[in-house]
Amino acid sequence: MSVVLYRVDERLIHGQVVVGWARRLGPRRIIVVDDELAADALEQSIYRTGLPADVRADFWSVEEAVSRLPAVEESDEPAFVLTASLSTMSRLAHDGIVLREINVGGIHRGEGRKRVLPYVSLGPEEQRLIDELERAGVRVVARDVPTAPAVRLIERERG
Amino acid sequence: MSERCGVVVAHSRLAEGLLSALERVAGEQENLWPVSNHGLGGDELYEVIAGILEERGGGRDAYLLSDMDGGSCGQACRRLLADGRVRAVFFGVNLPLLVEFVFLQAGSAEEFVKATVEKSRKALGARP
Repeated sequence: MSVVLYRVDERLIHGQVVVGWARRLGPRRIIVVDDELAADALEQSIYRTGLPADVRADFWSVEEAVSRLPAVEESDEPAFVLTASLSTMSRLAHDGIVLREINVGGIHRGEGRKRVLPYVSLGPEEQRLIDELERAGVRVVARDVPTAPAVRLIERERG
Repeated sequence: MSERCGVVVAHSRLAEGLLSALERVAGEQENLWPVSNHGLGGDELYEVIAGILEERGGGRDAYLLSDMDGGSCGQACRRLLADGRVRAVFFGVNLPLLVEFVFLQAGSAEEFVKATVEKSRKALGARP
């Protein structure tokens, strides 16, 4: 397994990722999967300013990620895969990428969403996706930084 | 994660705020503690810092991270250094310096101090 973290975080590459997680798991590359960002060179350059010197970033569309991630998984290079939404991560799983666990680091308030943790708010669509992913054997676990307690979101949903 | 510990010493609520920000990006910190000089004279500030190191330091390499050299915080830190209570004092503490302080691995204390300053200095910049 070369992808050491699959994470959903609206902020994508930011402090918790490049400090909290990267300093512990040591990725050599961060792959952001996002259809809009994959076509936006300016935004990509802004995200790249936050990278440690020895980590590179790729910005892939979902389609590109589905075709290229299997090779990343086979390589020796540790990588993070980031998406801004649970729906994008879910599309990867739906299109054949094998996920065992999804780390949820930040889904913030929005219309129809209810706050379940200070950094996670869920609406009906997110809840449906969590149920679907868990039924398919993918653990969906909220944890903003590695020292924080892991919270299985399906259990939080059920209360 | 490390055998080192430190006290962040700064004016007003800066130390507390810096550690709060550090914990947001790097997770909970058990080996760093904030001290404010608010309402404290020089001797009292010295005693507060020394008390924390004695109580929580546990014999580890201890460091001070002060907001600026020359102010009352920096002066108290220099006195503690002169008295051999800490390995080194960092001046101009900011978030990048704290990140390096927590994560950087280096051989000796001297190498650690040098590398921490070099790396965090690179984080300071501006873009016109």
